[in-house]
Amino acid sequence: MKIKWMVLAVVLVSFSGVASGLDFGKLLEERVKQELNKDRKTQPEQTSPAPDAAQNTAAPSPPAKQKIDARQLGFALFGDYSPEEETRIGRQIAGDLLGAVPLVRDDKLQRYVNLVGNWVALQSSRKDVTWRFGVLDTDDINAFAAPGGYIFVTRGLYQRLNNEAELAGVLAHEIAHVTLKHHLKVLKQSSLIGALGQAAGNKVKDSDQVVQNLIGNGAEIMARGLDKNAEFEADRVGIVLAARAGYDPWGLPEVLQDLAGLPAKDSRTSLLYKTHPHPADRLAELGEAVGGRLDAVHGKDLPGRLYRIR
Amino acid sequence: MKRFLIPAGALALCAVAASALAAPGTVLRNDKLYSQPNASSSVAASVPKGASVDILAKQGGWLRVTSGKSTGWIRLLSVRAGAGGLGGAGLGDVVGAATTRSDPSRVVAVAGLRGLNDEDLKQARFNGEELARMNAWQATPAQARSFAAQSGLTTANVAALPAPQSNRTSSPWETN
Repeated sequence: MKIKWMVLAVVLVSFSGVASGLDFGKLLEERVKQELNKDRKTQPEQTSPAPDAAQNTAAPSPPAKQKIDARQLGFALFGDYSPEEETRIGRQIAGDLLGAVPLVRDDKLQRYVNLVGNWVALQSSRKDVTWRFGVLDTDDINAFAAPGGYIFVTRGLYQRLNNEAELAGVLAHEIAHVTLKHHLKVLKQSSLIGALGQAAGNKVKDSDQVVQNLIGNGAEIMARGLDKNAEFEADRVGIVLAARAGYDPWGLPEVLQDLAGLPAKDSRTSLLYKTHPHPADRLAELGEAVGGRLDAVHGKDLPGRLYRIR
Repeated sequence: MKRFLIPAGALALCAVAASALAAPGTVLRNDKLYSQPNASSSVAASVPKGASVDILAKQGGWLRVTSGKSTGWIRLLSVRAGAGGLGGAGLGDVVGAATTRSDPSRVVAVAGLRGLNDEDLKQARFNGEELARMNAWQATPAQARSFAAQSGLTTANVAALPAPQSNRTSSPWETN
Protein backbone atom coordinates (compact mmCIF):
# COMPACT_ATOMS: atom_id res chain seq x y z
CA MET A 1 0.00 0.00 0.00
CA LYS A 2 2.80 2.33 0.87
CA ILE A 3 4.46 1.81 -2.44
CA LYS A 4 1.23 2.45 -4.25
CA TRP A 5 0.88 5.87 -2.71
CA MET A 6 4.48 6.60 -3.40
CA VAL A 7 3.89 5.88 -7.05
CA LEU A 8 1.00 8.29 -7.08
CA ALA A 9 2.98 10.90 -5.24
CA VAL A 10 5.96 10.54 -7.50
CA VAL A 11 3.81 10.84 -10.59
CA LEU A 12 1.96 13.86 -9.28
CA VAL A 13 5.02 15.69 -8.06
CA SER A 14 6.72 15.15 -11.36
CA PHE A 15 3.97 16.85 -13.32
CA SER A 16 4.15 20.05 -11.40
CA GLY A 17 7.76 20.62 -12.41
CA VAL A 18 7.46 20.18 -16.13
CA ALA A 19 4.04 21.47 -17.05
CA SER A 20 5.36 24.06 -19.44
CA GLY A 21 7.97 21.87 -21.06
CA LEU A 22 5.96 18.81 -21.87
CA ASP A 23 2.40 18.31 -22.94
CA PHE A 24 2.56 14.85 -21.42
CA GLY A 25 2.60 16.30 -17.95
CA LYS A 26 -0.83 17.79 -18.40
CA LEU A 27 -2.08 14.82 -20.29
CA LEU A 28 -1.12 12.42 -17.52
CA GLU A 29 -2.36 14.80 -14.85
CA GLU A 30 -5.78 14.70 -16.46
CA ARG A 31 -5.63 10.94 -16.35
CA VAL A 32 -4.86 10.92 -12.65
CA LYS A 33 -7.74 13.31 -12.00
CA GLN A 34 -10.11 11.14 -13.94
CA GLU A 35 -9.02 8.08 -12.03
CA LEU A 36 -9.40 9.82 -8.68
CA ASN A 37 -12.84 11.11 -9.59
CA LYS A 38 -13.92 7.71 -10.83
CA ASP A 39 -12.86 6.30 -7.49
CA ARG A 40 -14.83 8.87 -5.56
CA LYS A 41 -18.00 8.02 -7.41
CA THR A 42 -17.76 4.49 -6.15
CA GLN A 43 -17.64 5.72 -2.56
CA PRO A 44 -20.95 7.54 -1.97
CA GLU A 45 -20.27 8.02 1.76
CA GLN A 46 -17.64 10.58 0.87
CA THR A 47 -19.96 13.60 0.55
CA SER A 48 -17.59 16.52 0.39
CA PRO A 49 -15.01 16.18 -2.34
CA ALA A 50 -11.48 16.02 -1.03
CA PRO A 51 -8.99 18.61 -2.25
CA ASP A 52 -8.01 17.65 -5.71
CA ALA A 53 -5.02 15.45 -5.23
CA ALA A 54 -3.72 16.14 -8.70
CA GLN A 55 -3.20 19.79 -7.83
CA ASN A 56 -1.63 19.10 -4.52
CA THR A 57 2.00 19.20 -5.44
CA ALA A 58 3.09 18.04 -2.01
CA ALA A 59 0.93 14.94 -2.51
CA PRO A 60 2.38 12.67 0.21
CA SER A 61 -0.87 12.66 2.21
CA PRO A 62 -3.69 11.79 -0.14
CA PRO A 63 -7.18 11.14 1.21
CA ALA A 64 -6.91 8.06 3.33
CA LYS A 65 -9.88 6.07 2.07
CA GLN A 66 -9.18 6.17 -1.66
CA LYS A 67 -8.18 2.88 -3.14
CA ILE A 68 -5.99 2.95 -6.19
CA ASP A 69 -3.61 0.13 -6.59
CA ALA A 70 -0.54 0.56 -8.70
CA ARG A 71 -1.75 -1.64 -11.53
CA GLN A 72 -5.00 0.22 -11.74
CA LEU A 73 -3.12 3.48 -11.84
CA GLY A 74 -0.92 2.23 -14.64
CA PHE A 75 -3.90 1.24 -16.76
CA ALA A 76 -5.64 4.48 -15.97
CA LEU A 77 -2.62 6.42 -17.14
CA PHE A 78 -1.88 4.43 -20.24
CA GLY A 79 -4.90 2.28 -20.99
CA ASP A 80 -7.43 4.07 -23.12
CA TYR A 81 -5.99 6.98 -24.96
CA SER A 82 -8.40 9.19 -26.78
CA PRO A 83 -7.56 9.74 -30.46
CA GLU A 84 -6.39 13.24 -29.53
CA GLU A 85 -4.01 11.91 -26.88
CA GLU A 86 -2.73 9.27 -29.24
CA THR A 87 -2.02 11.91 -31.87
CA ARG A 88 -0.19 14.08 -29.33
CA ILE A 89 2.03 11.17 -28.35
CA GLY A 90 2.66 10.26 -31.99
CA ARG A 91 3.35 13.87 -32.91
CA GLN A 92 6.01 14.06 -30.19
CA ILE A 93 7.69 10.82 -31.26
CA ALA A 94 7.50 11.76 -34.97
CA GLY A 95 8.94 15.22 -34.30
CA ASP A 96 11.77 13.68 -32.29
CA LEU A 97 12.51 11.16 -35.04
CA LEU A 98 12.62 14.00 -37.58
CA GLY A 99 15.12 15.69 -35.30
CA ALA A 100 17.42 12.72 -35.89
CA VAL A 101 16.76 12.32 -39.63
CA PRO A 102 15.30 14.90 -42.02
CA LEU A 103 12.82 14.17 -44.81
CA VAL A 104 13.99 13.68 -48.39
CA ARG A 105 13.55 17.00 -50.21
CA ASP A 106 11.45 15.69 -53.07
CA ASP A 107 7.83 16.83 -53.12
CA LYS A 108 6.79 14.38 -55.83
CA LEU A 109 8.25 11.44 -53.92
CA GLN A 110 6.63 12.42 -50.63
CA ARG A 111 3.30 13.14 -52.26
CA TYR A 112 3.38 9.78 -54.05
CA VAL A 113 4.12 7.89 -50.83
CA ASN A 114 1.26 9.70 -49.08
CA LEU A 115 -1.17 8.69 -51.83
CA VAL A 116 -0.14 5.02 -51.75
CA GLY A 117 -0.12 4.98 -47.96
CA ASN A 118 -3.50 6.63 -47.61
CA TRP A 119 -5.08 4.23 -50.07
CA VAL A 120 -3.78 1.26 -48.08
CA ALA A 121 -4.78 2.85 -44.76
CA LEU A 122 -8.33 3.33 -46.08
CA GLN A 123 -8.66 -0.46 -45.95
CA SER A 124 -7.98 -0.51 -42.21
CA SER A 125 -10.64 -0.58 -39.53
CA ARG A 126 -9.52 2.70 -37.99
CA LYS A 127 -11.26 5.78 -39.33
CA ASP A 128 -10.16 8.06 -36.46
CA VAL A 129 -6.58 8.46 -37.67
CA THR A 130 -5.08 11.17 -39.88
CA TRP A 131 -2.35 9.35 -41.81
CA ARG A 132 0.92 11.06 -42.66
CA PHE A 133 3.76 9.41 -44.53
CA GLY A 134 7.35 10.50 -45.00
CA VAL A 135 10.57 9.24 -46.60
CA LEU A 136 13.54 9.82 -44.30
CA ASP A 137 16.83 10.93 -45.83
CA THR A 138 19.12 8.19 -44.57
CA ASP A 139 20.91 5.15 -46.04
CA ASP A 140 19.51 3.12 -43.14
CA ILE A 141 17.14 0.34 -44.27
CA ASN A 142 14.07 0.55 -42.07
CA ALA A 143 10.55 1.80 -41.60
CA PHE A 144 8.84 3.25 -38.55
CA ALA A 145 5.38 3.91 -37.18
CA ALA A 146 4.34 6.23 -34.38
CA PRO A 147 0.90 6.34 -32.74
CA GLY A 148 -1.69 8.57 -34.37
CA GLY A 149 -0.80 7.61 -37.94
CA TYR A 150 2.77 8.88 -38.45
CA ILE A 151 4.53 6.47 -40.84
CA PHE A 152 8.12 6.63 -42.08
CA VAL A 153 10.17 4.68 -44.58
CA THR A 154 13.88 5.34 -45.06
CA ARG A 155 15.40 6.27 -48.43
CA GLY A 156 17.70 3.25 -47.99
CA LEU A 157 14.72 0.90 -47.95
CA TYR A 158 12.73 2.83 -50.57
CA GLN A 159 15.54 2.59 -53.11
CA ARG A 160 15.51 -1.21 -52.85
CA LEU A 161 11.83 -1.45 -53.86
CA ASN A 162 10.88 -2.81 -57.27
CA ASN A 163 7.22 -1.93 -57.55
CA GLU A 164 4.31 -0.15 -55.88
CA ALA A 165 3.02 -3.37 -54.30
CA GLU A 166 6.27 -3.65 -52.32
CA LEU A 167 5.91 -0.06 -51.11
CA ALA A 168 2.28 -0.78 -50.19
CA GLY A 169 3.39 -3.89 -48.28
CA VAL A 170 6.00 -2.01 -46.26
CA LEU A 171 3.60 0.83 -45.46
CA ALA A 172 0.84 -1.67 -44.62
CA HIS A 173 3.07 -3.34 -42.01
CA GLU A 174 3.60 0.05 -40.36
CA ILE A 175 -0.08 1.00 -40.67
CA ALA A 176 -0.88 -2.26 -38.85
CA HIS A 177 1.35 -1.22 -35.92
CA VAL A 178 -0.80 1.91 -35.59
CA THR A 179 -4.18 0.23 -35.98
CA LEU A 180 -3.15 -2.43 -33.44
CA LYS A 181 -1.74 0.28 -31.09
CA HIS A 182 1.47 -1.68 -30.53
CA HIS A 183 3.59 1.28 -29.48
CA LEU A 184 0.95 2.57 -27.08
CA LYS A 185 1.02 -0.81 -25.37
CA VAL A 186 4.79 -0.70 -25.03
CA LEU A 187 4.56 2.81 -23.63
CA LYS A 188 2.01 1.68 -21.11
CA GLN A 189 4.06 -1.28 -19.93
CA SER A 190 7.46 0.37 -19.78
CA SER A 191 6.06 3.48 -18.13
CA LEU A 192 4.41 1.54 -15.36
CA ILE A 193 7.49 -0.55 -14.70
CA GLY A 194 9.65 2.57 -14.65
CA ALA A 195 7.38 4.36 -12.21
CA LEU A 196 7.20 1.36 -9.91
CA GLY A 197 10.96 0.87 -9.98
CA GLN A 198 11.59 4.47 -9.08
CA ALA A 199 9.08 4.46 -6.27
CA ALA A 200 10.49 1.26 -4.84
CA GLY A 201 14.06 2.52 -5.07
CA ASN A 202 13.12 5.91 -3.66
CA LYS A 203 15.87 7.51 -5.72
CA VAL A 204 13.82 10.22 -7.31
CA LYS A 205 15.26 13.68 -6.85
CA ASP A 206 14.81 15.31 -10.23
CA SER A 207 11.18 15.44 -11.34
CA ASP A 208 12.16 15.85 -15.00
CA GLN A 209 13.89 12.52 -14.78
CA VAL A 210 10.66 10.81 -13.78
CA VAL A 211 8.80 12.07 -16.84
CA GLN A 212 11.72 11.17 -19.07
CA ASN A 213 11.55 7.67 -17.72
CA LEU A 214 7.84 7.63 -18.41
CA ILE A 215 8.05 8.67 -22.05
CA GLY A 216 11.68 7.96 -22.92
CA ASN A 217 14.36 10.15 -24.47
CA GLY A 218 13.87 11.58 -27.92
CA ALA A 219 12.74 8.90 -30.32
CA GLU A 220 14.34 6.04 -28.40
CA ILE A 221 11.04 4.15 -28.40
CA MET A 222 11.90 3.51 -32.06
CA ALA A 223 15.21 1.95 -31.10
CA ARG A 224 13.72 -0.28 -28.42
CA GLY A 225 11.41 -2.03 -30.82
CA LEU A 226 8.42 -4.22 -30.15
CA ASP A 227 7.79 -7.78 -29.06
CA LYS A 228 8.51 -10.16 -31.96
CA ASN A 229 4.92 -11.34 -31.90
CA ALA A 230 3.84 -7.77 -32.57
CA GLU A 231 6.06 -7.78 -35.67
CA PHE A 232 4.62 -11.10 -36.84
CA GLU A 233 1.12 -9.77 -36.26
CA ALA A 234 1.87 -6.58 -38.23
CA ASP A 235 3.18 -8.77 -41.09
CA ARG A 236 -0.05 -10.79 -41.14
CA VAL A 237 -2.32 -7.76 -40.92
CA GLY A 238 -0.13 -5.82 -43.37
CA ILE A 239 -0.25 -8.27 -46.26
CA VAL A 240 -4.03 -8.49 -45.88
CA LEU A 241 -4.34 -4.67 -45.94
CA ALA A 242 -2.24 -4.49 -49.11
CA ALA A 243 -4.30 -7.25 -50.71
CA ARG A 244 -7.55 -5.51 -49.79
CA ALA A 245 -6.21 -2.37 -51.46
CA GLY A 246 -5.93 -4.36 -54.69
CA TYR A 247 -2.17 -4.95 -54.57
CA ASP A 248 -0.34 -8.20 -55.05
CA PRO A 249 -0.11 -9.53 -51.46
CA TRP A 250 3.49 -10.70 -52.03
CA GLY A 251 4.97 -7.21 -51.93
CA LEU A 252 5.97 -7.36 -48.27
CA PRO A 253 7.30 -10.96 -48.50
CA GLU A 254 9.41 -9.93 -51.49
CA VAL A 255 10.94 -7.09 -49.51
CA LEU A 256 11.67 -9.56 -46.70
CA GLN A 257 13.28 -11.92 -49.24
CA ASP A 258 15.48 -9.07 -50.41
CA LEU A 259 16.50 -8.20 -46.85
CA ALA A 260 17.17 -11.87 -46.04
CA GLY A 261 19.78 -11.87 -48.78
CA LEU A 262 21.59 -8.74 -47.56
CA PRO A 263 25.03 -9.10 -46.01
CA ALA A 264 25.15 -9.29 -42.24
CA LYS A 265 27.09 -6.71 -40.22
CA ASP A 266 25.89 -3.97 -42.50
CA SER A 267 25.38 -0.80 -40.48
CA ARG A 268 22.35 0.02 -42.62
CA THR A 269 20.39 -2.92 -41.20
CA SER A 270 21.75 -3.07 -37.65
CA LEU A 271 18.84 -1.13 -36.16
CA LEU A 272 16.33 -3.17 -38.17
CA TYR A 273 17.79 -6.44 -36.88
CA LYS A 274 17.96 -5.11 -33.34
CA THR A 275 14.24 -4.29 -33.39
CA HIS A 276 12.80 -7.00 -35.65
CA PRO A 277 13.03 -10.77 -35.97
CA HIS A 278 15.29 -11.92 -38.82
CA PRO A 279 13.50 -11.66 -42.19
CA ALA A 280 13.81 -15.43 -42.62
CA ASP A 281 11.90 -15.98 -39.37
CA ARG A 282 9.27 -13.47 -40.47
CA LEU A 283 8.84 -15.29 -43.80
CA ALA A 284 8.54 -18.64 -42.01
CA GLU A 285 5.97 -17.27 -39.57
CA LEU A 286 3.98 -15.66 -42.39
CA GLY A 287 4.12 -18.95 -44.27
CA GLU A 288 2.49 -20.76 -41.35
CA ALA A 289 -0.31 -18.18 -41.22
CA VAL A 290 -0.89 -17.88 -44.97
CA GLY A 291 -0.68 -21.43 -46.29
CA GLY A 292 -3.06 -21.49 -49.26
CA ARG A 293 -5.33 -18.75 -47.96
CA LEU A 294 -4.21 -16.17 -50.52
CA ASP A 295 -4.12 -18.52 -53.50
CA ALA A 296 -7.20 -16.91 -55.03
CA VAL A 297 -5.94 -13.33 -54.59
CA HIS A 298 -4.59 -11.72 -57.75
CA GLY A 299 -3.54 -8.14 -57.20
CA LYS A 300 -1.48 -5.60 -59.10
CA ASP A 301 2.20 -4.88 -58.49
CA LEU A 302 2.49 -1.75 -60.68
CA PRO A 303 6.25 -1.63 -61.34
CA GLY A 304 5.79 1.24 -63.77
CA ARG A 305 4.20 3.57 -61.28
CA LEU A 306 6.83 3.29 -58.53
CA TYR A 307 8.36 6.76 -58.22
CA ARG A 308 12.10 6.57 -58.70
CA ILE A 309 14.28 8.84 -56.60
CA ARG A 310 16.58 10.82 -58.84
CA MET B 1 11.29 -13.97 -70.09
CA LYS B 2 7.89 -15.54 -70.58
CA ARG B 3 8.96 -19.12 -70.72
CA PHE B 4 7.51 -19.87 -67.29
CA LEU B 5 4.15 -18.38 -68.03
CA ILE B 6 1.53 -21.06 -67.42
CA PRO B 7 -1.37 -20.71 -69.86
CA ALA B 8 -4.07 -22.40 -67.80
CA GLY B 9 -5.60 -19.95 -65.41
CA ALA B 10 -2.76 -17.49 -65.59
CA LEU B 11 -4.25 -14.05 -65.98
CA ALA B 12 -2.60 -11.41 -68.04
CA LEU B 13 -2.05 -9.28 -64.97
CA CYS B 14 0.03 -11.95 -63.26
CA ALA B 15 3.55 -10.66 -63.42
CA VAL B 16 6.19 -13.14 -64.43
CA ALA B 17 9.71 -12.44 -63.39
CA ALA B 18 12.41 -14.88 -64.32
CA SER B 19 15.68 -14.08 -62.63
CA ALA B 20 18.66 -13.77 -64.88
CA LEU B 21 20.64 -16.27 -62.82
CA ALA B 22 19.57 -19.01 -60.46
CA ALA B 23 19.77 -17.64 -56.92
CA PRO B 24 20.38 -19.80 -53.85
CA GLY B 25 17.59 -20.29 -51.34
CA THR B 26 16.80 -22.31 -48.21
CA VAL B 27 13.51 -24.12 -47.51
CA LEU B 28 11.88 -22.80 -44.31
CA ARG B 29 9.39 -25.62 -43.67
CA ASN B 30 8.49 -29.02 -45.04
CA ASP B 31 6.61 -28.39 -48.24
CA LYS B 32 5.88 -29.71 -51.71
CA LEU B 33 7.13 -28.93 -55.19
CA TYR B 34 4.19 -28.66 -57.55
CA SER B 35 4.31 -29.07 -61.31
CA GLN B 36 2.47 -25.76 -61.76
CA PRO B 37 2.29 -22.59 -59.65
CA ASN B 38 -0.94 -23.68 -58.00
CA ALA B 39 -1.76 -26.14 -55.25
CA SER B 40 -4.19 -28.17 -57.34
CA SER B 41 -1.51 -29.25 -59.78
CA SER B 42 0.36 -32.53 -59.35
CA VAL B 43 3.10 -32.82 -56.75
CA ALA B 44 6.55 -33.27 -58.26
CA ALA B 45 8.45 -33.83 -55.00
CA SER B 46 8.57 -33.09 -51.30
CA VAL B 47 11.28 -30.88 -49.84
CA PRO B 48 12.29 -30.89 -46.18
CA LYS B 49 12.90 -27.87 -43.98
CA GLY B 50 16.50 -26.74 -44.32
CA ALA B 51 16.98 -28.05 -47.88
CA SER B 52 18.97 -25.93 -50.30
CA VAL B 53 17.30 -24.91 -53.53
CA ASP B 54 18.11 -22.87 -56.58
CA ILE B 55 15.50 -20.23 -57.33
CA LEU B 56 14.81 -20.09 -61.08
CA ALA B 57 11.75 -17.89 -61.41
CA LYS B 58 8.94 -16.18 -59.57
CA GLN B 59 5.26 -15.91 -60.32
CA GLY B 60 2.79 -14.39 -57.89
CA GLY B 61 3.12 -16.25 -54.61
CA TRP B 62 5.22 -19.03 -56.15
CA LEU B 63 8.88 -19.69 -56.84
CA ARG B 64 10.17 -22.15 -59.42
CA VAL B 65 13.06 -23.97 -57.81
CA THR B 66 15.38 -26.89 -58.32
CA SER B 67 16.04 -29.15 -55.37
CA GLY B 68 18.40 -32.03 -56.10
CA LYS B 69 17.01 -33.72 -59.19
CA SER B 70 13.55 -32.21 -58.92
CA THR B 71 12.28 -28.97 -60.34
CA GLY B 72 8.90 -27.49 -59.51
CA TRP B 73 6.93 -24.66 -57.94
CA ILE B 74 6.98 -23.98 -54.20
CA ARG B 75 5.17 -21.37 -52.16
CA LEU B 76 7.11 -18.09 -51.90
CA LEU B 77 6.76 -18.06 -48.11
CA SER B 78 8.31 -21.52 -47.77
CA VAL B 79 11.71 -20.33 -48.99
CA ARG B 80 14.15 -17.67 -47.89
CA ALA B 81 16.56 -16.14 -50.34
CA GLY B 82 20.23 -16.76 -49.67
CA ALA B 83 22.26 -19.88 -48.92
CA GLY B 84 23.68 -20.81 -45.54
CA GLY B 85 20.84 -22.99 -44.29
CA LEU B 86 18.55 -22.19 -41.42
CA GLY B 87 21.33 -21.24 -39.01
CA GLY B 88 19.91 -20.04 -35.73
CA ALA B 89 16.34 -19.70 -36.92
CA GLY B 90 14.05 -19.12 -34.00
CA LEU B 91 16.78 -18.01 -31.63
CA GLY B 92 16.44 -14.74 -29.83
CA ASP B 93 19.73 -13.26 -30.95
CA VAL B 94 18.70 -11.98 -34.33
CA VAL B 95 21.94 -10.15 -34.91
CA GLY B 96 23.87 -13.35 -34.38
CA ALA B 97 21.41 -15.25 -36.49
CA ALA B 98 21.79 -12.75 -39.26
CA THR B 99 25.53 -13.27 -39.12
CA THR B 100 25.37 -17.04 -39.33
CA ARG B 101 22.76 -17.02 -42.05
CA SER B 102 24.25 -14.42 -44.32
CA ASP B 103 25.32 -15.40 -47.76
CA PRO B 104 29.01 -14.61 -48.17
CA SER B 105 28.65 -14.40 -51.93
CA ARG B 106 26.40 -11.38 -51.52
CA VAL B 107 28.65 -9.35 -49.26
CA VAL B 108 29.19 -6.06 -51.00
CA ALA B 109 31.16 -2.99 -50.11
CA VAL B 110 29.01 -0.60 -48.14
CA ALA B 111 31.67 1.93 -47.24
CA GLY B 112 30.32 5.41 -46.84
CA LEU B 113 26.80 4.23 -46.13
CA ARG B 114 25.69 4.69 -42.57
CA GLY B 115 22.72 3.42 -40.66
CA LEU B 116 20.85 4.86 -37.72
CA ASN B 117 21.75 3.86 -34.21
CA ASP B 118 20.28 4.09 -30.73
CA GLU B 119 22.22 7.21 -29.88
CA ASP B 120 20.98 9.11 -32.93
CA LEU B 121 17.45 8.45 -31.79
CA LYS B 122 18.00 9.06 -28.08
CA GLN B 123 19.71 12.37 -28.69
CA ALA B 124 17.11 13.55 -31.16
CA ARG B 125 15.45 16.90 -30.48
CA PHE B 126 11.93 17.67 -31.63
CA ASN B 127 11.94 19.25 -35.10
CA GLY B 128 8.68 21.11 -35.68
CA GLU B 129 9.73 22.43 -39.09
CA GLU B 130 10.19 18.95 -40.54
CA LEU B 131 6.92 17.85 -38.98
CA ALA B 132 5.11 20.77 -40.64
CA ARG B 133 6.68 19.77 -43.96
CA MET B 134 5.38 16.23 -43.50
CA ASN B 135 1.89 17.50 -42.69
CA ALA B 136 1.84 19.53 -45.89
CA TRP B 137 2.26 16.37 -48.00
CA GLN B 138 -0.78 14.71 -46.46
CA ALA B 139 -3.29 13.21 -48.90
CA THR B 140 -7.03 13.18 -48.37
CA PRO B 141 -9.05 9.97 -48.69
CA ALA B 142 -10.66 11.39 -51.85
CA GLN B 143 -7.24 12.02 -53.42
CA ALA B 144 -6.10 8.52 -52.46
CA ARG B 145 -9.20 6.94 -54.03
CA SER B 146 -8.73 8.86 -57.23
CA PHE B 147 -5.04 7.90 -57.29
CA ALA B 148 -5.94 4.22 -56.88
CA ALA B 149 -8.55 4.40 -59.62
CA GLN B 150 -6.02 5.86 -62.05
CA SER B 151 -4.19 2.55 -62.19
CA GLY B 152 -7.26 0.36 -61.84
CA LEU B 153 -6.69 -0.60 -58.21
CA THR B 154 -9.93 -1.85 -56.72
CA THR B 155 -10.61 -3.15 -53.23
CA ALA B 156 -10.73 -6.89 -52.73
CA ASN B 157 -12.45 -8.99 -50.09
CA VAL B 158 -9.65 -10.75 -48.24
CA ALA B 159 -10.25 -12.44 -44.91
CA ALA B 160 -7.97 -11.71 -41.96
CA LEU B 161 -5.23 -14.26 -41.31
CA PRO B 162 -5.36 -16.18 -38.04
CA ALA B 163 -2.23 -16.32 -35.89
CA PRO B 164 -0.38 -19.63 -36.31
CA GLN B 165 -1.22 -22.14 -33.58
CA SER B 166 2.26 -22.01 -32.10
CA ASN B 167 1.79 -18.35 -31.37
CA ARG B 168 -1.72 -18.11 -30.16
CA THR B 169 -1.12 -18.53 -26.48
CA SER B 170 2.26 -16.86 -26.28
CA SER B 171 1.54 -13.43 -27.69
CA PRO B 172 0.98 -10.77 -25.06
CA TRP B 173 -0.26 -8.45 -27.82
CA GLU B 174 -3.44 -10.28 -28.52
CA THR B 175 -4.44 -10.77 -24.92
CA ASN B 176 -4.22 -7.12 -23.96
